[in-house]
This record gives sequence, C-alpha cells and structure tokens, in this order.
Amino acid sequence: MARTIEEEERVIEDPGERVHVWPHLVSIELVGALIYLLALTVMSILIKAPLTDLANGEVTPNPSKAPWYFLGLQELLLHMHPALAGVIVPGAVLVLLAAIPYIDRSRAGTGIWFSSPKGIPITKFAFVYTTVWNLSLILLDEYLPAGEGAHGIGPLLELYGFPPAVGSVFVPLVFMTFIPWSLAVIVKRRWNANTREIMIALYSFFLASFIVLTIIGTAFRGHSMHLVWPWEVGHPEGLLMH
Amino acid sequence: MGLREKITNNRFFKSIYREGYPDTDRKRVMVVINSLALHLHPVRVAKKSLKVTYTWGLGGLSIWMFVMLTITGVFLMFYYIPSVKDAWWSIISLDTDVYFGQFMRNMHRWAAHSMVILVFLHMTRVFYTGSYKPPREFNWVLGVVLLTVTFLLSFTGYLLPWDQLAYWAITVGTNMGGATPIIGKQVQIALLGGFQIGQATLIRWYTLHVIFLPLTLIVLVSMHFWRVRKDGNISTPVYPAPPEEEATLAPAAARAKEPTGEEGADEGDESGS
Repeated sequence: MARTIEEEERVIEDPGERVHVWPHLVSIELVGALIYLLALTVMSILIKAPLTDLANGEVTPNPSKAPWYFLGLQELLLHMHPALAGVIVPGAVLVLLAAIPYIDRSRAGTGIWFSSPKGIPITKFAFVYTTVWNLSLILLDEYLPAGEGAHGIGPLLELYGFPPAVGSVFVPLVFMTFIPWSLAVIVKRRWNANTREIMIALYSFFLASFIVLTIIGTAFRGHSMHLVWPWEVGHPEGLLMH
Repeated sequence: MGLREKITNNRFFKSIYREGYPDTDRKRVMVVINSLALHLHPVRVAKKSLKVTYTWGLGGLSIWMFVMLTITGVFLMFYYIPSVKDAWWSIISLDTDVYFGQFMRNMHRWAAHSMVILVFLHMTRVFYTGSYKPPREFNWVLGVVLLTVTFLLSFTGYLLPWDQLAYWAITVGTNMGGATPIIGKQVQIALLGGFQIGQATLIRWYTLHVIFLPLTLIVLVSMHFWRVRKDGNISTPVYPAPPEEEATLAPAAARAKEPTGEEGADEGDESGS
C-alpha cells in the first residue's frame, strides 16, 4: 500500500542500555510505594477529614464552593454564561486534550523533557503570558465600574445597551480563543516554533489557566464570591465543622 | 543459612515460588515472566526510563493510590449507610466508635485528593516528555478518559457524607450540568435521579462511586497498561534526523552491547506482538 498521506519521518532513536526489571525497577517501585504510603499515613494521623453539619436544603452556606478541582470551573462561572463555563469549556478542553497527538504527529522530541532547547523558554513565556491575561480579566470583571454598583465587562456592555448574550457568551468566547491564538502566533514568530513547540505553549496555557483559576477560586473568593485576600476568606457561614 | 534453607527448600515453598530467589540473570527473567503481578513489566527496561526525575513515578503512584482507595473504601463500606436519614450519622459513628475508623476515613480522603493531583501531574509529565507522540497516541486518549473517570469518582464520593459541604457542592455541580445546551433538563434529572437532590441522588451516586466507576476505571486502566507495553514501554529519546543523513536505529547497536545469555528468553518482550 503506497503511503500517499505523508512522508515517513526520519528520526534517530536512542534508547540506550537496558537493565533487568528485577531488581532495578521493582526496587524503585517498592521504595516509592512505601514512601508515599508513609506520607499518607502520617497525614491521616495528623489531619482530620472534614465533616460539616448535616445536609440542610434550607440553609445555603455562603460562599458555596465546589471541591477544589472544580473551583477553577466555578471561577469561570462568575465570568460567563453557565452553559459556556460549566459544559462547553470543560467539554472542549477534554476534546482538545485528546486531540493533541493527532495534531502534533511527529515522533521527534519524544522522551525528552520540553523536547528541545526552545521548549523551556517557550513554556515560561506561555505561563507568564497566560497568567497576566487571566489575572487582568479577573480584576477587570471585579473592579471595572458598570453603573449602579455593578462591576465587570458584561454589565458594562449591558449598560451600553448590548444584549446580555454579548457580555456573557460572545465576549468570553472571543477572549478564550484570542488568548491562545495570540500566544501561538507570538511563539511562532519569536522562536520560529514548530508544531510540537506551539503545542507546548498551548498546553502551558491550559495548565497555567487551570492553576491560576483554581488558586483564585480556593484562596481569593470569600463571602458572596467577592475577591478578597486569603486571610479574609474565612469560614463559609452556615458551615460548622464536626 | 539453616533457616533460609528450611523455609525455601521444601515442596510447599517451591510449589509457589518455582525458581527461588532471583539471584541469577536467568532467574531474574523467569520471575518476571512467571509472576501474575510482575509480568505486567517487560523483562528488561531502558536504563534511561528508570531515572526518577524522568517520570517521577507518577503513573505508578496514581495506580497505587487507586489500590489504597479501594482497600480503605471497602473498609468504609462496612460502616457507611447510603440513606439520607443515616449517612451522616454512620460517618460520625465511624469517626468515633469504630477502631481505626477515623484513620481509614482520613486515608480515603487524602488518597482521593492525592490521586486527582497525581493523575493530573502524570498527564503533565507525559505531555512535556512528548510521550503522547506516535505510536502512543491512543494511549493518550485513554488517559484523558481516565482523567475524566478519576474526577467523576472523586465527585461522586464527595456527596456521600451528606453534609453541608457535600450537599451544596453537588448542587453547584448539578446546576452546571443542568446548563447543558438543549438536553440540560434531562442531564440534570439523570444526575439527580429526580428533580432535586434527595435519596435517589444518594443511591445513584453511591452505586456509581463504589462499583460502576471503579469497574470502568479498572477496565480502562488495564487497556492503558496494555498499550504502554505494546507501544514500546516508557518512552526514550527520539531525535530528529539531520537532513541528508540516513535514519539509524539504535536497538541493533544496543543489542550488541548487552550481556550474553538471555537472548532466547528475552525475545518475547521486544516486539510489539
């Protein structure tokens, strides 16, 4: 069968010397498992798993927060339509993650952290770029005056007469596509990045966003989900510990 | 050593451990091939892939956490009652009356959080080392599905204590599900087992958490491990060939450097079949 889709990629593989799994790998596995078990045991002896008041549909804690790994998503909820924040964005993220190996198809760069000398500066830049954008947008939505005590980009647009969908769907979509797209363009121009290197930048954008949004959601959102300093977050009212 | 001889040199011991302690190269090969647990591994691995700072053992730690969660989880199942009337009280009882109850519950909670973090770090490691590239593409897809199952396992477990933290966290989550375009109402009813959080929700999420999602995870993880072996074990460096040069494959050269003796037993692990 003739290969008409693409040429065979030429690579140099360098697996190096091989050693027996017993004892070299199994000993590392045993030690690793024991260390982690020990750490988990110590933590379980010292720190109690939380248990709050019996569930009560009449009393809503304020703020009412999702488990920490969903707090990034909950943060997004504050800035756009719930269907976008809670369903479309996470769905798209999973699909795009799964699609990575079908976009970056070259074998070169496997087995090496950051794949090339450009990989590390690109990752660092992507992290900084993403964090600056994310923090700016979060701060804008929190403090940009939009008349009558309201704040944020969406309310401001509504004040100017735009329909709500513009601020809650269209503008967030524009930002969420513009930021990674512009990142890819900058990385391509500045470092003459290939597909793998652009992919590194985009994954770093995803990772940095996840980390920043989760940190903000955990440590900086307090009563009524206002942005506060971590020491001001305090305990949600209506949530007693046992 | 008299005692060691007595223990190891009898019919009973030899019926379990056929070859004895692996202190020769041949026995090191046989112990991996003959063992149910160990034959997950190849007989030999690239030395580069053993470096802790290459993989940080994140995949292994993730599955180790799943094992810990299963063991502590089964313990918890002896005491937990999935009824809105009794769930919270059964946990109070577990924490105060049951020997090691609080300890087991703590282990379960912290192992659960650990597992979410570890699988996320594992995905990040695999990404930054390019270990999703051909021939490992499908395994990466399996990994993304496993990430989703891990989040779901954690989320379904979060509801079970039936305390304020659980109840309202799940309210936030199911409201997000209800915001799904077009089929949102149906999604929310499927998640809740009705129109609001109640007994149906608890039983549904309990069943998902203790049997359906763990079985799903076990099936997918088995495929995931299988693919790791088939796709060439832990990845090792692959460099782009400089232009106008023939691609050279190192394995032939590497084989020439290996110690003699094991080529016969070794053949099985090299090929993709």
